[in-house]
Amino acid sequence: MISPLDLRGLTIYINRVEELSLPEARRKRLLVVLFIPSVERDSVTEIDQDQWVDKALEMFGRVFGGATAFPRAKGIWRDDERGGKLVRDNPVVLHCYMAPEDMEKPHNQTSLGAFCRQMGRETNQGEVGLVINDEYLAITNLSED
Amino acid sequence: MRPQIDIDKIAKGLGAERRGKVHVTSGHFGAMQLVAEVQARFRVPAGGGRATDPSWTKRRLVPLAQNTLSRLEELAHNIEEKRHIHVDPMQVAALLLENITAQIADEDAEQIVDAARSSG
Repeated sequence: MISPLDLRGLTIYINRVEELSLPEARRKRLLVVLFIPSVERDSVTEIDQDQWVDKALEMFGRVFGGATAFPRAKGIWRDDERGGKLVRDNPVVLHCYMAPEDMEKPHNQTSLGAFCRQMGRETNQGEVGLVINDEYLAITNLSED
Repeated sequence: MRPQIDIDKIAKGLGAERRGKVHVTSGHFGAMQLVAEVQARFRVPAGGGRATDPSWTKRRLVPLAQNTLSRLEELAHNIEEKRHIHVDPMQVAALLLENITAQIADEDAEQIVDAARSSG
């Protein structure tokens, strides 16, 4: 137990770094989610998902300052257009918190859009899915320009 | 509080089309819940091609005049040019059909059918 006399000798440490980092944390309040597929559009051919997760993290880190990839989700669904065949789809979800202003910059949109189209083309997808501010967006035109 | 952003402008800048609202929460469980919601609501058909509304489960052959098909192609092309949204002419037809079917009065439908029969 500390006596009242001893208290005079203690030092109170004020962490100013924590204080300074708060405005930055408040600024990054827009959540963008990218889905990285596990299979091609035929729902059978597997893709190199780990490679695309790494590429996506690099892009989000470079352009928007960081991101987090969650462990893959395990999904299954019945494809009624193909005789009720069960299809497994295990996407990785990547979360990126960013400042809304960063998403509004045209060159950042160009970088993100180009990455999504490249991933869609090279992994042979029907579309690439993003969630921005609680809205699902789909990129279906996967051509380079 | 959700940030105020111009989602139309962002979608255009990304070359994306808006599909609908989802419920997003942070953290691992939020991420997994989001996967489940997106897989259920916005899944791309397995045979490839573009995402369609999951409620479009019925298919019927509908005979069309060439000029109607041309007009649908023109509408789809214009939508793609202006809004950067990929849409097939027959998806436009299905949307128009849904819209008109929901709005048209029985008497108007009868008049249109009568007019078509008398002119044919």
